[in-house]
Amino acid sequence: MKRHTHVALLATLMSATAWGQEVSLYGTTMAEMWKSEVPGFKKDTYTPATQFLGIDATKLGSDNLSLHLFGWGRGDLSDLSQTEPNRAGGYLSFGYLQYRFNQANAELKAGRFTVSQSTGIEQVDGVSGRTDLIGGFTVSGFVGKPVAAQVVDPRKQTNYEFQHDFIYGGRLGWRVTNGAEVGVSYLQDGTKAAKDLNPPSLVDYTRKQMGADVVLTPLSILSVRGRTVWNVAENQFGVAEHDYTATVKLGSQVTVTGNFAERDFLYLFAGTNLPSLFRQNENDLYKGWGGNITWNTPWSVIAVADYQHMHRETYGDVSKAGGELRWANAEKTFQMGAGGHIANAAKTKVVDSAVPFRSLSYGEARAWAMASKGKFSLSVDGILQRYRKSNPYLNGLTNVYEAVGSLGYQATTNLKVSGDLSYGTTPVAKNETRGLLRAEYRFGMASKGGR
Amino acid sequence: MAGKTVLKVLGAVLGLGFLMACSLVSPETSFAATHPQETGAGRPICSECHTTDLSKGSLKPYAALDHTNDFVKDHRFQATQDLNSCASCHAPAFCGDCHAGKAPMKPAIRLSDRPDRMAPHRGDYMTLHRMEGKMDPSSCYTCHGRANNDKCRVCHR
Repeated sequence: MKRHTHVALLATLMSATAWGQEVSLYGTTMAEMWKSEVPGFKKDTYTPATQFLGIDATKLGSDNLSLHLFGWGRGDLSDLSQTEPNRAGGYLSFGYLQYRFNQANAELKAGRFTVSQSTGIEQVDGVSGRTDLIGGFTVSGFVGKPVAAQVVDPRKQTNYEFQHDFIYGGRLGWRVTNGAEVGVSYLQDGTKAAKDLNPPSLVDYTRKQMGADVVLTPLSILSVRGRTVWNVAENQFGVAEHDYTATVKLGSQVTVTGNFAERDFLYLFAGTNLPSLFRQNENDLYKGWGGNITWNTPWSVIAVADYQHMHRETYGDVSKAGGELRWANAEKTFQMGAGGHIANAAKTKVVDSAVPFRSLSYGEARAWAMASKGKFSLSVDGILQRYRKSNPYLNGLTNVYEAVGSLGYQATTNLKVSGDLSYGTTPVAKNETRGLLRAEYRFGMASKGGR
Repeated sequence: MAGKTVLKVLGAVLGLGFLMACSLVSPETSFAATHPQETGAGRPICSECHTTDLSKGSLKPYAALDHTNDFVKDHRFQATQDLNSCASCHAPAFCGDCHAGKAPMKPAIRLSDRPDRMAPHRGDYMTLHRMEGKMDPSSCYTCHGRANNDKCRVCHR
């Protein structure tokens, strides 16, 4: 979307907020400063300032019409901290008008929004709608132009992005009252086949996907969720993904979960706008399986043990195992957690010519705590990653760590200020100290939990 | 004359189709757009209050929406099937903390004062991504395959 279209859309949406009888405004202002010390280079100081801003305006002339906006802007006050050549940048994450009907959970959206009812998460400039139908059926759909990130040099955007001119999709679901649901969905991104481009392209980046999703609860203690996605583009028909998870509840305290996933990169990554990364191993296949056991103990401790086995045809096998403990007091004024994981890549094949075996193996440990008393809040968070010595990515390091401390003050009901200080080491910057000041504010009458 | 006849027939067909479509719409009233009470701190367990009934939006037991460890880590199926249920408690921007399309910083920095929340890429993920990306690049694809990949392009041109 062109810049003046952005401005016109934003101005229209912003002016519409004036009609809202209930307007919520929430924002976060963040000022960061960090110093990086890279051996052999000068010390750099970065001071970016970032503003997140969101508006939810409801009852726009009607109880059912609302407006939702969210975006951010950022500027560098000293050395460039971003990879883009500009000192300032911004983005409209979403901005849409929504009409919710009083019947059938029906709704319409128009503007920039994110859809997830199809085979993936898509950001779209367009319109969408959904409604419940009789007999437990639901239907939803969307049409518009896909919102895609621009490449660093627009001249390098060739036909693959040109094909992403129009996107549409939809889903038909069927619900039954015992909690089961099945759905079929379709998504198409791009209207011109590679052969119809001028000049024709040898590579086709049009994406046509069909999906089937399911949740079944044959027993009150057992549920199965999952989906299968097919690529149905011409000459590229195949299964892109299977992903299924089964959960069994053993009593009121223990839950056991098992997962199986299989992904074919040729079909799954067909529509990426980063082909240099996601289409470099097109004939690769991923298979993974694993599970976890969660125990909600009577002592307010949640204990999780998990295991995951991953197989890639090009790189071989990796096993990851670990666990986590969480505890919170009854008032949730004090919470703490600790966990760790080990990834064992002893069965990987040679990753590349410069990297021997075990290069993917690592261990990770993390511990955190947060507390609040009165208007004050405090949190600490430490993470340690330990790698094998044979890993050439580490510039001789084996331990990489980061510690973060945060102190917050709830000045008023609507305003909270906090400051973070972190220190860590990385293979690139031997030492990195980071400071962050944050002001969060929220004004308005409409209330939503969870934020 | 023939054109007008075609338009009349087309109008009649569209009108009948619209009426038929309307008759297929569920007569049930929509569920509340906003949860009537603020939820408390921490991950909510919906079934603590909603003990036996089905969620009106999703027709699933409220226990299916409990924010357990599994739910938080793998909530995409619920987002596909029951997004309206999510919206009754979460403001739209809540999803944007991680799924913004394009973000100026990784979620772990944005939420560095909330270690209890699941925020991707805590610690030095720049190093770790070289290994995790080889283990399973499809986990990267969800966020970086279609958008939010400006930084990826610096190396992966």
